[in-house]
Amino acid sequence: MVAALKLVGVRKSFDGFVALDDAEFEARAGEVHALLGENGAGKSSLMNVAAGLYTPEAGRIFVNGEEVVLSGPRDATACRIGMVHQEFKLVRPFTVVENVLLANWRGRFAPGVREIERQIEKQAAELGFEIDPGSRIDELSIAERQRVEIIKVLLAGARILILDEPTAVLTDEEAVRLLTTVRALAAGGAAVVLVTHKLGEVTAFTDRVTVMRNGRAVALLDSRATDAAELTRLAVGTAVASPRRASSPPGEPRITVKSLQAARADGHVTVNDVSFYVRAGEIYGIAGVGGNGQTELVEALTGVRGPLAGSIEIEGAGNATGASPERLRDLGIACIPADRFGYGIAGGLSVVDNFCVGHINEGTYGSWLRTNGAAMREATAEAVGEFDVQGVRALRQRAALLSGGNAQKLIIAREFSRNPKVIVAHSPSRGLDVRACAAVHERLLKARAGGAAILLISDDLDEVLNLSDRIGVMTRGRIAAEFEAPADRQAVGRVMVHHA
Amino acid sequence: MLNNTVSAATSAQAPLVKRTGHGWRLGRLNLELRQHMSPWLQALILACALVVGLGISAALLIAAGVKPSALFDEFIVENFSDPENLHSILFQAAPLIFVGVSAALAFRVRFWNLGIEGQMIWGGIGATAVSFYDIGPAATRIPLMMLFAALAGMAWIIVPLWLRVRWRVNEIIVTLLLNYVAFNFLLHLLYGAWLDPKDNFPHSPQFRAFERLPELGFGVSSALVLALIFTALSGWLVMFTRFGFYTKFVHDNDRMALAVGVPIGLVTLVSALLSGALSALAGFVIAAAQEGRLTQSYFEGYGFSGILIAFLARNNPIAAMVVAILVAVLFVSGRSLQVFYQIPFAMVQLIQAIIVISVAASEFLMRHRVHWVR
Amino acid sequence: MLHFTVNWLAGTPSFAAPYALAALGLIVSERAGVLSLGAEGFMLVGALAGVATELELGGYPSIALLVAMLAAAVVSLLFAFLVVFLRVNQVIAGLAVVFFCHGLTSLVGTLGGWTNRAITGMHAVAIWPLSEMPIVGKILFTQDVVVYLTIPIFFLVNYVLTRSMLGLRLRSVGENPEAADASGVSVSLYRLGAVVAGSALIGLAGGYLSVVDVKLWVPGISGGRGWIAIALVIFARWQPWRALFGALLFGGIEALIPRIAAAGIQLPQYFLLMTPYLATIAVMVWAAVTKFGRSNEPAALGQPHIREERR
Repeated sequence: MVAALKLVGVRKSFDGFVALDDAEFEARAGEVHALLGENGAGKSSLMNVAAGLYTPEAGRIFVNGEEVVLSGPRDATACRIGMVHQEFKLVRPFTVVENVLLANWRGRFAPGVREIERQIEKQAAELGFEIDPGSRIDELSIAERQRVEIIKVLLAGARILILDEPTAVLTDEEAVRLLTTVRALAAGGAAVVLVTHKLGEVTAFTDRVTVMRNGRAVALLDSRATDAAELTRLAVGTAVASPRRASSPPGEPRITVKSLQAARADGHVTVNDVSFYVRAGEIYGIAGVGGNGQTELVEALTGVRGPLAGSIEIEGAGNATGASPERLRDLGIACIPADRFGYGIAGGLSVVDNFCVGHINEGTYGSWLRTNGAAMREATAEAVGEFDVQGVRALRQRAALLSGGNAQKLIIAREFSRNPKVIVAHSPSRGLDVRACAAVHERLLKARAGGAAILLISDDLDEVLNLSDRIGVMTRGRIAAEFEAPADRQAVGRVMVHHA
Repeated sequence: MLNNTVSAATSAQAPLVKRTGHGWRLGRLNLELRQHMSPWLQALILACALVVGLGISAALLIAAGVKPSALFDEFIVENFSDPENLHSILFQAAPLIFVGVSAALAFRVRFWNLGIEGQMIWGGIGATAVSFYDIGPAATRIPLMMLFAALAGMAWIIVPLWLRVRWRVNEIIVTLLLNYVAFNFLLHLLYGAWLDPKDNFPHSPQFRAFERLPELGFGVSSALVLALIFTALSGWLVMFTRFGFYTKFVHDNDRMALAVGVPIGLVTLVSALLSGALSALAGFVIAAAQEGRLTQSYFEGYGFSGILIAFLARNNPIAAMVVAILVAVLFVSGRSLQVFYQIPFAMVQLIQAIIVISVAASEFLMRHRVHWVR
Repeated sequence: MLHFTVNWLAGTPSFAAPYALAALGLIVSERAGVLSLGAEGFMLVGALAGVATELELGGYPSIALLVAMLAAAVVSLLFAFLVVFLRVNQVIAGLAVVFFCHGLTSLVGTLGGWTNRAITGMHAVAIWPLSEMPIVGKILFTQDVVVYLTIPIFFLVNYVLTRSMLGLRLRSVGENPEAADASGVSVSLYRLGAVVAGSALIGLAGGYLSVVDVKLWVPGISGGRGWIAIALVIFARWQPWRALFGALLFGGIEALIPRIAAAGIQLPQYFLLMTPYLATIAVMVWAAVTKFGRSNEPAALGQPHIREERR
């Protein structure tokens, strides 16, 4: 049987970093084929090649047995390949119709709008979606936007459908709905590729799975004939033990948040009435799909943007609401931001600078008039060794050259070496491979053992469940429910959906 | 149940498969961001860009009627052999150093101070006010003039700074517009209250002898010495103090700087004020050392020169000093060309723009890697 | 008093036209995501080209204006090449282009002998019999051809931007170039086209200034109007009709200044000349403070687009 899509010998590197190393892949019509691998294995890169967005240095692409050359996304669309990316390619101020029309040109504007509207409604009905074609994208929820992306791609005539980590932004229930729809699409004759790092999806919803590691395809299996353990072994190589959480009695509440209300930069209120407390020596995990106010909560806690109402109290220091970031850091708050290279690292500056900025104001590296370069370098070298930051050829080198995992370790080195009293960790393992992930978790647990109060905010439910002593579920800007560990995953998931 | 209705409807229009071409197929350029480039290669590319920029400028000059041999003469030979010319260059360098360092200090924290000329105007006005109203004893006159000039410059830059901090109004347009406002105020003074009664020309009465910056011998003016002192202080501030350390973060990633506790507001405020003060001192220096009075157009051309110097010097004050001297060479040669070959002084501005464009364009090679793909 | 007002209002469109056309050109370019700080430079190029053409041809102001548009469009290719293909920082490129044009036009103007020479230019055309109406006739129906054409031009550009596929793609490039690229729109080509088309309009504004308003060329004739137009676009929230309103406002201020002095009212001359610039700053502050309506700033304004950017 001729494969619908076949990639052979693909090689792609980014300025020296090899993302794809002689990678191979093949998908048949009528199947749901999983592309599994941990973060950084090359799954998205390979599919971007198939979608015409990346041009490989070597390799060949075959569609239905015929070789094709893709010089851009338009060629891929012409070959009936459609991809739904992790970051949606939607124009926010445009309506659904305008976005779909942009990708599916139908002649002149006005008649095009009418025709596309008709086609959208038809396609949505077939898939069981409910979409108002006239609504603006920025009025839709993330799940709804994803449906627009799928419709957009189907209306372009896609017979090979690639979905890149589609369930990362969905609740468990929404994920099930999506994957069921995907199975139906495959049953209708399309070839569906599901890029994922979630083992549960692979075994439950797919027919075959290709496992990728370090830019190569290392295995091709029948999904029903394998299990989570084997897949993990293939994807990661060696078994990585996840750190164990030792039970220890927590101390007094270190940070208490009451009725906090916060908004985004544009004034949109996303944190409505959040109250919780975190005790010394405990990890309080906030579970919930992204976009429910988590970022604004972090901003309020770190002083980046003052809250609109409510209070933040810190043990021993009283009311700290609306204090500046410098003041909050002086009071012992440390933060690991979600956007590593946006908020955590100054990419153009050296590793030394990025490490020392955390506590230079304490006078450790000289007075205002004269900074002590030698002391800075010495302290950084020590920290790099202690926190196992790799890839540092010279302390002078730009921090942007560090990989995601090592940048995270540098950030942790900077924040934790101050022995903070409160740590706010926002999606600390996003985008990291399993080993880096384990290292981060270990550091968090160590800090917990050392008596710090840790607030862990993550959309990775497993991470939250494994690490937290207490869990709060955040939806629509509120803590909808709290659980003590060990928490029942189903119960937590139900709260996330119920209040969504 | 999903069926093939949609795909059937669209199957007619889209070609199913794109064949590989036999024969001629136009390739395309593929762009990639570079992660790293050795400083030597960067310096080489920068040097090439300068050579290209100067080459285009030379071509333009030749097209405008200057003989190639005369070009070489004017720019290279004359400037280094004739002591008169050397003196002119050093003299011209002083205000250029001031505006170059001023621009560098502001751009380091991403405060786009394009109001250099306006601040120069106010610096001249402040200094002239001390002379006009005879403020203070003779011995302190020059320091007082400097102080008033600096304060005037700082007051003028506070406006766009405050507008940006308080209401996020873009300072590029505001500082530019304020230049025009300052210029009109200057004319108001020069044609009005400060008109020189001796000759009824639109310039202020001459400064008294003790209000002028003296020559120090060997052709070196005290204005230059002042410029060097301020450069050294700015260099120290930027390279060795905690303040300078913070400015690096404000420049590279200000959101991260805020989150990590860098006092962004203070750093930006101080940098902007220093920038305003230095540009104002440039105005003071021209009035007190060159003109000897407040005139109508002493600031012309310095705004873009400051931007050029800061850009080429990558916002480092010491490098700015060096670049400023080179720009002084350009200014002096430009004046000769104006006198001897009737090339308008606007040529200097054109040459400066060509160099900036050339260097900016060359950064493309530093930031990106280009492949030709078939 | 009535006479003064009618006279003033009749003079306003002529002062407003350069602002309106320049702002429209900037809107086209900025909706595609390119911040064109070079507007002041393109105006100068258009102004010189217009006067030079009329001097060399001995008349024909319409042709002069067309040449002005063409000249500005050609020079804008340099700017477009820098920011679209070489991905140079748009602020630096814009500033460099302004001073490049300033120096170039001063130089060429002197060398070509076109500086400071008066031309006949273009005059107002009365639409008879409507122009005979009291008050309104003088204000609305006794203007020059370009002012009359400005309204249809605005209609046309607004229509294309909002109700055509071309406009849809152009706006998508300015809001989310990754989405546009994935949809098969050539980001570089659309940005290039937007810059050139916008600059042609800005060149027309400059040509109008020198050929119709002032009727000669001197270096720096645009006097900061390019910067004011940039501020106008922000104030207008990137909507053409609001920009026209802003242009009329500024045209009114400019038309008022000489008339106040002529009417015998004693105000310090140079403070009057400051008013357009102070008014612009006031308008910018107002726009920043009120944030009326949604913020319509094109989300990708000022950012270069690279397809294979990692991280």
